[in-house]
Amino acid sequence: MRTSRQLEHMRVLAVLLMLGFAAFPIYWMFVTSMTPSSELFASSPRLLPAWSQLSIYAEIFNTIPVATWLKNSFLVAAGTTVLSILLAVFPAYALSRFRFAGLAVLGFALFATQMLPEAMLVVPLYSIFGDLNLLNTIPGLVLANTAFVVPVITWIIKGAIDSIPFEIEEAARVDGCSRLDIVLGIVIPLVAPTLAAAAVISFFHGWNEYVFAQTLVSSENLRTASVGLASFVGELSTPIHSVMAVGVIYTLPAIIFYLFAQRYVVAGMTAGSVKG
Amino acid sequence: MSAIEINNVSKKFGAKEVIRDINVSIDEGDFLVLLGPSGCGKSTLLRMLAGLESISSGEIVIGGKRVDQLPPGDRDIAFVFQSYALYPHLSVRRNMAFPLLMQEFRLWYHLPIIGAMAKRRIENSPRVVEKIAKMSKILGLTDMLDRFPRTLSGGQRQRVALGRAMVREPEVFLMDEPLSNLDAKLRTSMRSEISRLHKEIGGTFVYVTHDQVEAMTMGTKIALMRDGIIQQFGTARDIYTDPANTYVARFIGTPPMNLIMAKWDGARMMVGSLAIAANLSPTLAASDVLLGVRPNAITLATDLSNDSLNGEVVMVEHVGADSIIAVRLKDGRTAHNDDGDLDAVMVTVPGYCMLSMGQAVSITIDPHQMILFSAATGERIRRLT
Repeated sequence: MRTSRQLEHMRVLAVLLMLGFAAFPIYWMFVTSMTPSSELFASSPRLLPAWSQLSIYAEIFNTIPVATWLKNSFLVAAGTTVLSILLAVFPAYALSRFRFAGLAVLGFALFATQMLPEAMLVVPLYSIFGDLNLLNTIPGLVLANTAFVVPVITWIIKGAIDSIPFEIEEAARVDGCSRLDIVLGIVIPLVAPTLAAAAVISFFHGWNEYVFAQTLVSSENLRTASVGLASFVGELSTPIHSVMAVGVIYTLPAIIFYLFAQRYVVAGMTAGSVKG
Repeated sequence: MSAIEINNVSKKFGAKEVIRDINVSIDEGDFLVLLGPSGCGKSTLLRMLAGLESISSGEIVIGGKRVDQLPPGDRDIAFVFQSYALYPHLSVRRNMAFPLLMQEFRLWYHLPIIGAMAKRRIENSPRVVEKIAKMSKILGLTDMLDRFPRTLSGGQRQRVALGRAMVREPEVFLMDEPLSNLDAKLRTSMRSEISRLHKEIGGTFVYVTHDQVEAMTMGTKIALMRDGIIQQFGTARDIYTDPANTYVARFIGTPPMNLIMAKWDGARMMVGSLAIAANLSPTLAASDVLLGVRPNAITLATDLSNDSLNGEVVMVEHVGADSIIAVRLKDGRTAHNDDGDLDAVMVTVPGYCMLSMGQAVSITIDPHQMILFSAATGERIRRLT
């Protein structure tokens, strides 16, 4: 019979193994960015970075507008996050608390928006955005991304609101709260962990998004990092160092944002599991 | 002036009528208990008073002002929930300050930072601080003002809920089974605490419960409800000694009142083939009746005779100070079988009773403590003497 200690060791090993699978591509990206050109296609790959190549990071900031790309990506991601949360909280509350004709249809319609691929919507969106003068603007991108994120996080937030006992809202009504006061003063603080989880989802959607960023924006200085990164891939050559180095830089802010939101996200994902 | 008037109030959920044309008037300072079994509409009636439930017809007047169309916050009431319903994200202090904060609330207080500063300013104002200090002292919460509800025990949470209701100094306190989540011992102490608060701070209380002991001990008035109708409205004493129908008679009292089937033939009260002393006026028309007798108004004897109601002991329960004896009559039936199909007359005997199962006994009913009900309708027949 195995002791609990052995089981514990095996569990840690399993976690490390999974972590390795998840983290290795990022590590490999980092190593490749720091591999001398001569060794890039060597038959025995390098497993440790060549620190002498660190200058590549300074170089790309000088030669490519990485800073602008990152700034644009950040504006799109942050804009999507703020707008999506603002737009999702109220419908989520309505879906959770109000009973009205068409509730089920509305809920399904929200889901249905997720069944359409972005690529299919690009053409109609392009034409609509053209009429509204939203092509080639950051707000245009934010709007397009928000449209995709809102249905998802509406359902997530609705789930959290469902777990708030009715009596708390009734107590607030007796204490003199209007519906708006209840949503802003009682419901939002109580679902804060879920809002953090929703923020992570929105932020990453905006940060990673490629199809809209590629088609709805054409001007160089409004490029997001995802599009910029893809622009390296040339017909004749691809500067693998630079691609990998930008890739590493592109990944970092997302990781930092996640670390910041992590403790709320974990709380949000277990919300309702323990009676509060 | 009456504090609350409920005039012809009805409530329908779809086609189902859960409150049927209720009329009650409650005086200022009264402690009204709405008593009844689950699903009798007592909580619905309370929630209609609070404005948490709309009314289908009729009118509600609180403190001389018609309120049935007003939102709950404008009715000058406070509500204590069974589940406490404290705000989990606020400390005890801020939970209690919340109703006072809402009295001065402006929409812009929702803004981050400056809104929070404005809320802090109200919460730290002398008026609010003094009220919370006073109420937390009355309720013994002074040491836990900065704790969060999740760290409190059930009894402490309930006290915070009471405190949150009391700081507003409302016209009317509404309480929906506030003690039913507490354990038996705590329930007893909270019961007397709520009665004490009622005397200390005054105000009109409306209290919902299904527990007859709570109703009898706390209420200055009791409304006993069944199927959306008030069966009887009166003091605890009225309801116990002078029940309006067999339902009320059986609901209050442990063990409940016995209902013995009998026949009034115009001159004699016949139980089976035996005529018993009934102390009745002969003007009462002959009819089938139910004799309502409390278990403590019956005396037991072991010597049998032909002119007493004879029977056999079918159950003996010792409950400390008293013993409860069930006697199945040889010649006579009871009109209740909700005690486990025991067609028997319940008798309480002081002290430890040495009778055993199967023993033959006779019972004597005190004619002055006998109440008559119509066997057909269950309604009370008033004595004409």
